[in-house]
Amino acid sequence: MISASAAFAGSYNYLQVVLSALIAVSASYAALDLAGRVTAASGWVRSVWLTGGAVAMGVGIWSMHFVAMLAFSLPVPVSYNWPTALAALLTGIISSAFALYVVSRQKMGGERAFAGGVVMGGGIAGLHYIGMDAMRMAAVCRFDLRIVILSVVLAIVFSLAALILSFGLREETRGTLSRKIASAIVMGAAISVMHYTGMASATFIASPAVPDLSYAVSISPLANHGIAVVAFLILGAAIVTSAADRRLAAQAQELERRVIERTKQLIASNEELRKEIADRERAQDALQEAHAELAHITRALAMGELVGSIAHEVNQPLTGVVANGNFALRELASGTPNREKLREAIAEIVEDGTRASAVISRIRTLLKKGAPNRVELDINDVIEEAAILVRNEAARDRVHVQLNLAAGLHCMLGDRVQLQQVLINLIMNGIEAMRTVTDRPRKLSIQSVKHADGVLIQIQDSGIGFDPDLVDRIFEPFFTTKAQGIGMGLSISRSIVESHGGRLWAGSGPNGALFQFILPVPIGNGVS
Amino acid sequence: MTGPASAVFVVDDDPSVRRAIKRLVESVGLHVEIFGSAQEFPQAKRPDVPSCLILDIRLRGASGLDFQRQLVEAGIYVPVIFITAHGDIPMSVQAMKAGAIEFLTKPFRDQDLLDAIQVALKRDRARREQEAEIAVLQERYESLTPREREVVAMVVAGMLNKQIAAELGTAENTIKVHRSRAMEKMQAQSLADLVKMIERLQTPLTKSA
Repeated sequence: MISASAAFAGSYNYLQVVLSALIAVSASYAALDLAGRVTAASGWVRSVWLTGGAVAMGVGIWSMHFVAMLAFSLPVPVSYNWPTALAALLTGIISSAFALYVVSRQKMGGERAFAGGVVMGGGIAGLHYIGMDAMRMAAVCRFDLRIVILSVVLAIVFSLAALILSFGLREETRGTLSRKIASAIVMGAAISVMHYTGMASATFIASPAVPDLSYAVSISPLANHGIAVVAFLILGAAIVTSAADRRLAAQAQELERRVIERTKQLIASNEELRKEIADRERAQDALQEAHAELAHITRALAMGELVGSIAHEVNQPLTGVVANGNFALRELASGTPNREKLREAIAEIVEDGTRASAVISRIRTLLKKGAPNRVELDINDVIEEAAILVRNEAARDRVHVQLNLAAGLHCMLGDRVQLQQVLINLIMNGIEAMRTVTDRPRKLSIQSVKHADGVLIQIQDSGIGFDPDLVDRIFEPFFTTKAQGIGMGLSISRSIVESHGGRLWAGSGPNGALFQFILPVPIGNGVS
Repeated sequence: MTGPASAVFVVDDDPSVRRAIKRLVESVGLHVEIFGSAQEFPQAKRPDVPSCLILDIRLRGASGLDFQRQLVEAGIYVPVIFITAHGDIPMSVQAMKAGAIEFLTKPFRDQDLLDAIQVALKRDRARREQEAEIAVLQERYESLTPREREVVAMVVAGMLNKQIAAELGTAENTIKVHRSRAMEKMQAQSLADLVKMIERLQTPLTKSA
């Protein structure tokens, strides 16, 4: 029952009202801002943001409430029961936490929004009425139930609107700032309207009863300002932290993007490098194969050409001999031989025979005297080249080729191709001699050393060796110990070495054969 | 003085070899002409009698195989016997494919060469006879009037006089006259004879054009 005579007429300090509205707007802004941060974060960071945000928002709403309460002055002194006021604060924080949680979800359906609105609105309304309950004064407070319900409904409706606004603004893009501010003003106004509606529902009636002042504190105007300042500080800190975090997050994102991009580039260039290496390896393999093939072809051609040329050169006169001989036989068989023609034919037989023998000696001297390509060369280079050319053959027969080349050898004059032919010949002989060896390593060592007569080159294999009795015969033309040999290799090799003014000889031991040759160096280049 | 009944040509860049071959082949009574290079042969005035060519594969300049091809391209038909001091199987296969009579490796048996020469001359003789026969037929054919040739073509294609007359728009009797005149000029004893003659004329005509 309201007694007209007993009811106090309360009055508002409008400056305080404006201050409370400002706090409401700031709290709303902070809430909108923090919703975005909570959404962007995940894991424990998200919990921290949620807690911090809820505290800032709760404190904001709470202080708005108390500043607004203090804007209302009654003719009796009013003090506040601080545990109740603290409970009001907790209510604000918890409902804020719930609201932040709702708007930071991936989706916010109608039901969820409604539940959020009810909880938040209920929370704010609860905060309000609990806060009012903290008042201690010499008066009783009567509420008009209809206005109370209206205030609760308003709280829920405004909260729902606030949730929807927050959810819509939580994605942080350009242009959201002005919308955020507008939304904050709307929300702040709504909170204020709710508060003052709630205040309007109360009527204070003077009571003679002494108020229970246990745990009660009275709030001076200075303390009132303090509340506002602290609220602003907390809200400001929340907004600044949020902005800084947003900035940092953006930088982190940019950094991450750069790292990903750079990683991609690195992977790509790494892949390219790997491809290039593979290509190079392939090319090297191909080159090696080509080398081996060249060595093989060179030898085959040299041999084939030589054999072909010998056959041709010798067969020509032999054809003449046979044809003339046949003619002579026919003439003689005819009974009336033409003596003049017979004489001619026989003369040509003799001539062709002489020619055939000349061909043979010409081939022998061909290699001896022909010095068409004498150039200054380093025998070590020639040895290395030859070793490269037979590398494949050596690898195929699992022969280890070892080079021990003396440094500081003098240059000599020689035919590079011919000397290579000698080396390849001797190396190939060595490799072939080791084909049946299984009880010891197949090792072929080639070394060059200074010698009193020039440079000594030694080729030692670990093969089957040869019969020492044959040591002189192996250099004869057409002498061979190989099933498929034609017996020209060593003979030609010796001719080549001799044509260079050197000598080639061989020896055989229990562990393979040793072929060595000496090549002279020009006078003036001689070894000291 | 009459020319030789046949001729053997020798192309070999080795004078000793070509002289020996000439001596040997002449000893069996054949006419032999020798050439030191492939270039000399086509330019020389050769007797127009059955002949053959003994050709060394390894010649200075063009190889014997190339030379054989050039002869065919130049329309000089002469059977070839290859001789070589250093031949291999692919080479001989190629030579035989190109129509060589024989491929002999130096030094060869005299009888092998002489046998090959006989085969080659026989083949050339046969070819010449055929050519001569065709030349006679050609001459006779050319003595036909255009209308007679038309009629002959239709007769050979198997058409009856009546059909030919209808085709050419003349009387059957006129066709009969053309036909008997053509038979007479071609010296054909029967229709089958005429068909054979025309066939022989057609085959080489398309071939050596």
